[in-house]
Amino acid sequence: MLQTLAKIFLFRRYIVGITIMAGNNFQFIKKICKSLGENNKPTYVVMSIAAVKGICRPTFTMMDKTENPETKKYTALREGLTEVIAIPAYWTCGELSGKIAQKVFKGTGLEKRAATNLMFMGVCAAALFVIPGLCSIVIKPIMDALGLKNPEENKKSVKKTDITIPSQMKTPEISTQPLTHINTYPTMKAFTTRPQTGLKVGGL
Amino acid sequence: MIGAIKNIVTSSQLANVAQNTAQSVTVETTLKAIGRPGFILIDNDIDADTKQYAAAKEFLYQATCLAVYMALIVPVFKKGGFKLAKNIIFKNTQGFEHFKNVKEYTHYRKLAENPNIENRQASLAKIIPGKDVKVKDQYDGVLLNELTKEKPDLFTNVKGAVELSNLIGSVLGLAILAPQVSHAFIHPALKLLGLEDKNKKTDNKQADKNSNTTPNFNVKA
Repeated sequence: MLQTLAKIFLFRRYIVGITIMAGNNFQFIKKICKSLGENNKPTYVVMSIAAVKGICRPTFTMMDKTENPETKKYTALREGLTEVIAIPAYWTCGELSGKIAQKVFKGTGLEKRAATNLMFMGVCAAALFVIPGLCSIVIKPIMDALGLKNPEENKKSVKKTDITIPSQMKTPEISTQPLTHINTYPTMKAFTTRPQTGLKVGGL
Repeated sequence: MIGAIKNIVTSSQLANVAQNTAQSVTVETTLKAIGRPGFILIDNDIDADTKQYAAAKEFLYQATCLAVYMALIVPVFKKGGFKLAKNIIFKNTQGFEHFKNVKEYTHYRKLAENPNIENRQASLAKIIPGKDVKVKDQYDGVLLNELTKEKPDLFTNVKGAVELSNLIGSVLGLAILAPQVSHAFIHPALKLLGLEDKNKKTDNKQADKNSNTTPNFNVKA
C-alpha cells in the first residue's frame, strides 16, 4: 500500500516536473546545454557518476532481502563512503591539474587547451591511484569509529575463539600473519574479503 | 622529453577527447580495466590465486561497464538525446535546423575547428565515397557561409545537448545498469574460467591453516 502511494507520488512529481519545464520552454535545460556546449569539464561526468553511485549502490544493497542486516549495513556504508571520498577527490585532482596547467602555460595562448587536457589527466589519475589510496587510508578508521566490523572477519574470529583443544595438543605459540586485511584498497584484498553480498565488485 | 610532454599536454586531439563525455568515459574505463587488475597483480602481499581471482574480477567488472556503455548508452542516448533536443526542447531552432543528426554536426564541428580556411574548403570539395556527392552538397548555405569565416559558429547548444544526453546516459549506464549486469555476469564468468572454485579452495585451505596454527585460544585443560 505504502509502496503504491510512493510510486503514485513520485510519478505525480515527475509529471509535474516535466510540465513545469515544458511550460518554462525548457529554459533550465537550454541553459545547461549552452554551458556544457561552451565548456564541458571532464570532472562533470565523473562527479555525476560518483554522486548517483553513492546514492544508488547503498540503496540497492539495503534493498537486498536475502542478506542479514549487519552485512547489509556494513556493505552499504562502505559503498557510500567510497563515493563520498571519490567526489571531492575527482574535483580536487581535476581542478588542481587545470590550475597548474594555466600557470605553466600562461601567455603561450595554449593555456585553455592545456588546462582541459591536464584536468582530464588529473581525473584519470584520481580514478586509478588517488581514490583507491584514499579509501585504504580513510575507510577503515571511519568504520572502526562507527563500530562497524566486516561481518566476514567477525565470523572468523568467532570460529577461532570456539576452538577447544586438549592440553596435550598444546603447541607453542606461533605468530602468524592475519589472513585478511580489510579495507586495504591498494592491495585490493577488499575485493576478496568484502562480505559476499550486494554489488560487491566494482570501481568507484 | 619535455617537448614530447608539452605536445601531449597541448594536443588538440586530447582536448577533443577531454571535452567529449562519451570518449572521456570510454578512455577512463579502459584505463581502469587495464590499470586496476595490473596493480592487483603486482601486489606482493597477496597469494597468487587470490591475486588472480581479484584481478580477473576487477577486469571483468570494468570490461562489463565498457561493453554496456559502448553497446547501449552511446548510440541510444547520443541519437535519442539529439532528436529530443531538436524536436522538443529547441524545436528546430538555435542551430538544430541545420543538422539532421549527430554525425552531420560532428563533421561540421571538426571542419569549423580547423583554423585553416583553405583546408576546410578542400575537405568540402571532396566526394563522399560510394555516394557520388560532394561533402559541401550536404551542408546548407548558412553552414557553408560560416565555414568561410575565420571563427565559424560552433553551435554550442547542439554540442551541449549531445553532451547532456551523453552525461545522463553515462550516469544511468555506469552507476545503475552496469553494476546490475556485471553482478549477473561476473560469477558465472569466473566459474567458467575456473577461478571461483580455486579461490574458495584457497580460502578454505588458508582458514584451516590459520585455525591449526593458532590454537592458543580458550585452551582447556
